[in-house]
Amino acid sequence: MIAPRLRSLLLWIAVAAICVFCLLPFYWLINVSLKTGADLSNADLIPPSPSLDNYSSIFENNDFTSALRNSVIITTVTTALALIFGSFAAYALARLRFKFKFLILAVVLSISTFPPIAIAAPIFKLWTDIGIYNTYTGLIVPYLTFALPLAIYILASFFKEIPKELEEAALVDGATHFQAFRKVVLPLAAPGLVTAGLLTAFFVWNEFLLAVTLTSSPSAYTVPVAVANFTGSTEFEVPLGTISAASVIITIPLVALVIIFQKRIVAGMTAGAVKG
Amino acid sequence: MNVLRLAAILIAVALLAVAGCGDDDDGGGGGGSSDSQAVTESRAQGDVTWCIGKDTTGAFTTVVDNFNKANPDANVELLELPESADDQRRLQIQRLRAESAQCDVLGVDVIWTAEYAAQNWLLDVSEAIERQADAFIPSTLETAKYEDKYWAFPFNTNAGFIYWRTGQDGGPEPESWEQMYQQAGDADGFIYQGARYEGLTVNFLELLYSAGATVVSEDGSEATADSDEVRNVLTFMRNGIDDGDVPKAVTTYMEEESRRSFEANRATYMRNWPYAYALAKDSQIADSFDVTTFPPYEGNPGAGVLGGYNLAISAFSENPEGSLAFIEFAVEPGQQEIQATEASLPAVVSEVYDMPSVQKALPFATDLRDAVEQAQPRPVSPVYPQISEAIYTNVYAALQGDKSPDQAAQDMNADIQDALETF
Amino acid sequence: MEASTARLGRRRSRGGRRYGSGERRLARAMLAPSLIVMALVAAYPIGYAIWLSLNEYSVRVPGLSRFAGFDNYSEAFSSPEFWDAVVVTFMFTAISVGIELAVGLGMALAMHEAFKGRGILRTVVLVPWAVLTVVSAITWRTIFEPNLGLAPQVLSALGLPGADVVWLGETGWSMAVMVLADVWKTAPFIALLLLAGLQVIPNDVYDAAKVDGATTLQRFRSITLPLLAPAILVALIFRTLDALRIFDLPYVLTRGANDTTTLSLLSYQELTTNRLIGYGSALSVLTFAIVMGVSFLYIRLVGGNIRSLVADD
Repeated sequence: MIAPRLRSLLLWIAVAAICVFCLLPFYWLINVSLKTGADLSNADLIPPSPSLDNYSSIFENNDFTSALRNSVIITTVTTALALIFGSFAAYALARLRFKFKFLILAVVLSISTFPPIAIAAPIFKLWTDIGIYNTYTGLIVPYLTFALPLAIYILASFFKEIPKELEEAALVDGATHFQAFRKVVLPLAAPGLVTAGLLTAFFVWNEFLLAVTLTSSPSAYTVPVAVANFTGSTEFEVPLGTISAASVIITIPLVALVIIFQKRIVAGMTAGAVKG
Repeated sequence: MNVLRLAAILIAVALLAVAGCGDDDDGGGGGGSSDSQAVTESRAQGDVTWCIGKDTTGAFTTVVDNFNKANPDANVELLELPESADDQRRLQIQRLRAESAQCDVLGVDVIWTAEYAAQNWLLDVSEAIERQADAFIPSTLETAKYEDKYWAFPFNTNAGFIYWRTGQDGGPEPESWEQMYQQAGDADGFIYQGARYEGLTVNFLELLYSAGATVVSEDGSEATADSDEVRNVLTFMRNGIDDGDVPKAVTTYMEEESRRSFEANRATYMRNWPYAYALAKDSQIADSFDVTTFPPYEGNPGAGVLGGYNLAISAFSENPEGSLAFIEFAVEPGQQEIQATEASLPAVVSEVYDMPSVQKALPFATDLRDAVEQAQPRPVSPVYPQISEAIYTNVYAALQGDKSPDQAAQDMNADIQDALETF
Repeated sequence: MEASTARLGRRRSRGGRRYGSGERRLARAMLAPSLIVMALVAAYPIGYAIWLSLNEYSVRVPGLSRFAGFDNYSEAFSSPEFWDAVVVTFMFTAISVGIELAVGLGMALAMHEAFKGRGILRTVVLVPWAVLTVVSAITWRTIFEPNLGLAPQVLSALGLPGADVVWLGETGWSMAVMVLADVWKTAPFIALLLLAGLQVIPNDVYDAAKVDGATTLQRFRSITLPLLAPAILVALIFRTLDALRIFDLPYVLTRGANDTTTLSLLSYQELTTNRLIGYGSALSVLTFAIVMGVSFLYIRLVGGNIRSLVADD
């Protein structure tokens, strides 16, 4: 047995190591974001003359703020739809009985593995013909397609863990399958929903290839596209300062989101404790 | 209807539809290159969309505004593509392959012009060019030419320079490449763009062109890379690293890394584009550096490689005459002056370099025009990307010591020949 | 629980039990939205890409194309660049996913322990993920910039080996940076999945084991790991699928130099840069096939775990 004191110490060392590992490059981003001009060429750990120029120049740029808005909308809608559609499909796969389940699961999984670069151009053409090029819908639909497999898979695993007896009890009490799903299974699978939701949100937020292919005006750009458009003063200059500042700005709401959802995880767990 | 069956039918139908009409997509503007269309008249009216990379300084917007003000019947809109050249090209090609009419005027990198022209994606503007060919610096016109016709107007250009540290930390002005390497070895080294990408092709060709050789024959049908000149250049570059004149780090450098290293006082000599000048003037070495055109190599005058952007008209544009009007406006000396002074974009019109405002904004303007005049285009070919890949992968292997100069030259030749024979 | 599920499954297939039609209708309705969305986006583009791979499109003569059957595929199989890319991709995947799993598990365990500041730790751990993939690649590239970057400076200050190495200019070292950047970005993903899995393990099981005198290590090996297996499997599968298709990192860090050209990067180069539409599409299809092959391999190796996901019980 490890002595409690030692155990605590090891834990704190582990925690410290995790923090350094996760935060050092992010600190570097903040560091670079506070540098301007010549300082960017140096590798000082602390900016010699910190300035908020990069931040102000970002917000002066209307495109960035509208890109932020677009990303938030697209991410939220895609995540919500992925959770809804995904939980339906996962429940059907995990609980209901019908033929070809394995085939469907295999197809669903395989869709998300096709290299996006090969289908970016065909989707562009198709979207242009249908008329949803450069729109929110034009991005939400492909994102849903790529996000659903992971969501379905995670949710199906969580649904499977929940004991059948609880649903059966509900069915005996006269509930339909769907009601059992809504009232019994979903609440218990809260951690799974949160996990699937967070993963979907992060995928959509980060996605660049389809975003840059399927949009062509600042009114529809998402954040990764806007960041790719950040300019130095010429075609060769890589504006590290502004890119870093933008990254810092983007991270803050995401972190806030995580903090909020965090509490949900805990709440979900204590609300519906699962007995083994 | 059973959802599964529905899905299966949808997929089957989609596949059939795709198989049936798959060919139409890549037809481009017509049959062979002889069918290509030309635009000869310019009429400043209607809508024109200009698709070019990010307007980094606002200079593009200024040109657009000026044109719109001067021509109330016309309306030009700027559609900015991402800053990265790779992304610009991919997004342009995607539209061209889909025969989209969204972009009328395209900002085309000099190395893409022949590619697009060969696919009948551009309109022939030879007549319009002939009307004012004298105004342009001749070398810039070479980049817009393919199969004896002109497919674009030069818009801005670019040619490399040697930057060098003056004063105590520095070295003497380079008198030849060989001497510069030696001086670099005694001082803090010479750096350039040696990563495995297009920039390395440029750096390599600058030496090769100086030595008087090329990698592709005049008529574009044969690779000529298995030559003594190529071997000598490769050996020269490799020895530079071996002898310590050039730090090994250059194999990871693109334009920015070399600039940052130079500004941080880590190198005495640097090869880079003119853009680095203004940035270096803003840095800690502002008063201790200078630029010069390429010195001689192997006794021959130094040669540069042309960069820059051309303006072309999409073959699918619905307003070719309006597009031409806008392009002709953008290459007027007055507008070129704005590009030079506001955006430090080297002009393609010769007289612009003599204007006082330009001399002020670009103190080395005369040198710049000289550099552009002496520069040559990279191989003008529809398979340029593959040719470039053949060059930079083999030069990189030689720099790393993975291949001997002999082997690298042979492989380069074979790869280029393969590229020229691509279906 | 698994054993009884399997038994029920067998009984079902032998008996040909009839399903309630209400259940089937509900199943259809619940699956429909997902399937329709996916069919819409995936069917045409994927079908089209496969069609493209069976043809050759001239890069020199406009409008010229010819049916090539499997020529593009045989060209790929006889191309050294293709096999190099396969090796690089698998090596990267094996190393990266292995390390991510270990690091992610460690993070999950630490986050699971009840102590003050757990919430902050969870947030800290998700920071790497909030940074855009492309930005993180650029950041790592500047961190390893020769002489000027953070890494060479720190290494030389600490007197550690590797300070003089041109990391992104050497074979092997470049891969190391790629793995490091990937682990940094995705270990939190794994930590999140594993944490969710840890949280559904009830405490009584541990308490019972403690009463029986099991050590921490024994409890970990016999309780934690097995009960965490489903979550680990999910993490493994999806991380493997992602790692096999990695593109951003090699593109930004090295452009594929020094043996870091992955399958996706190669496909991109041939498809987009060289405009070899047929060949590039074939490479994409091959990448897809390889990825699918690996996932089916997983399914085989871990027995019926995935089947049990959809098995009727």
